[in-house]
Amino acid sequence: MLNQSRQSHDLDQRSSACPEGSQSGAAGGTELPPQVLLAAPPSSPAPPLPPGGGGRGGGGQKRRRESQRAMKTFLGFFAALPAAALAAVIAALLVKAWPAILYNGTGFFTQRQWQPGGQYSQPVVTNGISHPLGASYGALPLIVGTVESSALALVMAVPIAIGTALVVVHKLPPRLSTATGLLLEILAGVPSVVIGLWGTIALGPFIARRIAPLIAHNVPDIAALHFLRGPVGYGQGLLTSAVVLAVMILPIIAATTRDLLRQVPTDATDGAAALGMTDAEILSAVTLPWVRAGMIGASVLGLGRALGETMAVAMVSGAVLGAMPSSIYQAMTTIAATIVSQLDSAFTDATGFAVRTLAEASLVLVLITLSVNVAARLLVRRVASTALPVGRGI
Amino acid sequence: MSESIPVSSPAGHPEPTATLEAAIGAAGLSVGFGGTTVLHDITVAFAPNAINALIGPTGCGKSTFLRSINRMNDRVHSYWCRGTIRVGQEDVLGKGLDVLSLRRRVGMAFQRPNPFPMSIQDNVVSGVKAHRLARRHELGGIAEYYLAQVGLWPAVKDRLQDSPFRLSGGQQQLLCLARALAVGPEVLLLDEPTSSLDPRSTEMVEDLLAKLSSQLTMVMVTHNLAQARRLSATTTFLYEGRLIESGATERLFASPGEAETLSYLSGRIG
Repeated sequence: MLNQSRQSHDLDQRSSACPEGSQSGAAGGTELPPQVLLAAPPSSPAPPLPPGGGGRGGGGQKRRRESQRAMKTFLGFFAALPAAALAAVIAALLVKAWPAILYNGTGFFTQRQWQPGGQYSQPVVTNGISHPLGASYGALPLIVGTVESSALALVMAVPIAIGTALVVVHKLPPRLSTATGLLLEILAGVPSVVIGLWGTIALGPFIARRIAPLIAHNVPDIAALHFLRGPVGYGQGLLTSAVVLAVMILPIIAATTRDLLRQVPTDATDGAAALGMTDAEILSAVTLPWVRAGMIGASVLGLGRALGETMAVAMVSGAVLGAMPSSIYQAMTTIAATIVSQLDSAFTDATGFAVRTLAEASLVLVLITLSVNVAARLLVRRVASTALPVGRGI
Repeated sequence: MSESIPVSSPAGHPEPTATLEAAIGAAGLSVGFGGTTVLHDITVAFAPNAINALIGPTGCGKSTFLRSINRMNDRVHSYWCRGTIRVGQEDVLGKGLDVLSLRRRVGMAFQRPNPFPMSIQDNVVSGVKAHRLARRHELGGIAEYYLAQVGLWPAVKDRLQDSPFRLSGGQQQLLCLARALAVGPEVLLLDEPTSSLDPRSTEMVEDLLAKLSSQLTMVMVTHNLAQARRLSATTTFLYEGRLIESGATERLFASPGEAETLSYLSGRIG
């Protein structure tokens, strides 16, 4: 685009530095004064509006207002639906779990036993709550198992996901990059029961025979690292669960990271390259800080899935109740896996107390997921205070 | 490496002037991407320690030429080039050239300000850190020196740890220039450095460039002919990938030697 003004008296006019569109040749000479452009053409003056509400036009206006109001109600209804669904779920669980919450008390969070009580003896009533004789529940191993396996999965998945996303965005030729992206999506779509079966028949034994001994026998004998030592088990336990979970959340995190990386402006990475930075320096100075907030969001998305993942973990965790693993090779269980594996037998409890306890456990799971999300939001806000000019994940 | 490694010795923050002559030029330069040729057989010499304007219609290859000088085109898939580009005594396109140190010697400013997602101070010294030109405790002083040089110090001295994205567009561009200057370049490539800025910011950037022009060799792509005429010592006109005319700015604007130049300058093409 050429600036119209080349006469010598215009050369000092710095405002001509504006990019195209922002100015239309201020010194050009023949253009119309702006107010003429803004006003309606003088030859066709707008017809005077009829007085409000009169005639056919007025009726139409009323209908339009009504339809506007109806639309608002309509949309409001759909906007409220998800919130209502969440409220309904929580309310139902709370009502079901309430007697269990009262009876199990704080011990539910600190104790390890999982005893449904005598199924064939007369039910006992304590403080108005009916339960089998000797019923005693402590969910500590479940809670710890849930958090441990998910956290371990996240630790494994995030670096791999970042690596995958970086390769897909920056290194692979376009066609290969698309293919890899497709594979990620396929991996994300594999049903968890399939991955669970793979974990049971292939991954678990492999870990028990090859990986676990390698770690367990080579880790130094320090108290802080004892969770990596000890008997390597038979391939069902914390480590296998974490790897299975990592495989399941990897595509979510990798795909999100890939999309984030594609949003990093080339202006910024070019600037770093033009300064003579190496690829690694560009990555750490520009690219990763740019996607950091979004990455946290993506990781929480993955963590949320890992926390709630049921089937695969139920298949590879070893599903041990009432004990906590002392090393990553030992059998364990999670809240979700326990709920699904215990539900059948819980229904045989004539007092219904076992089911009430499972409802309580599920509320705990909701609480964990919720607090992870809240924590992530706080973290994102903190990280995003570097004030990036563009989107920041969740 | 050339014999003239200037500036930014760890001891102090010297002027970015250490080399007297960092002349740049190209000879028989053809550049393209895949099957398309963007630049055809360009031969040109730029004046040292002055602003050299590069003008021409959109798509004529100005930016591609500029990005050949600091080998930024290497980052583009299917890029190829023939010929030579000289910076000082060195052939930039030569085989064993260290691209990273070339880019330290040949700085660049872009069309839109592109601060890094880090604090204002870290932005200024990011190149200094990358090239390990200074010790950690010297970084604060270097940041102050270059922020002062671009005239930004008074505005940011109390918010050095703030995000650069809260600065105005013009201030961001000055920050980017400070960042480019901090590694002590001999040459500065400017790719329409004011085209995204408002008139006042443009004035600030232009004042800075005019101030620097006695110490640095600059090549500036611009669409703004008035700006080219105001600032530059030489002007080179590219049209459809070919060099049409190159010479002293006054002469080229006053009496263009080629018909295309006249057409472009009078707004008939472009």
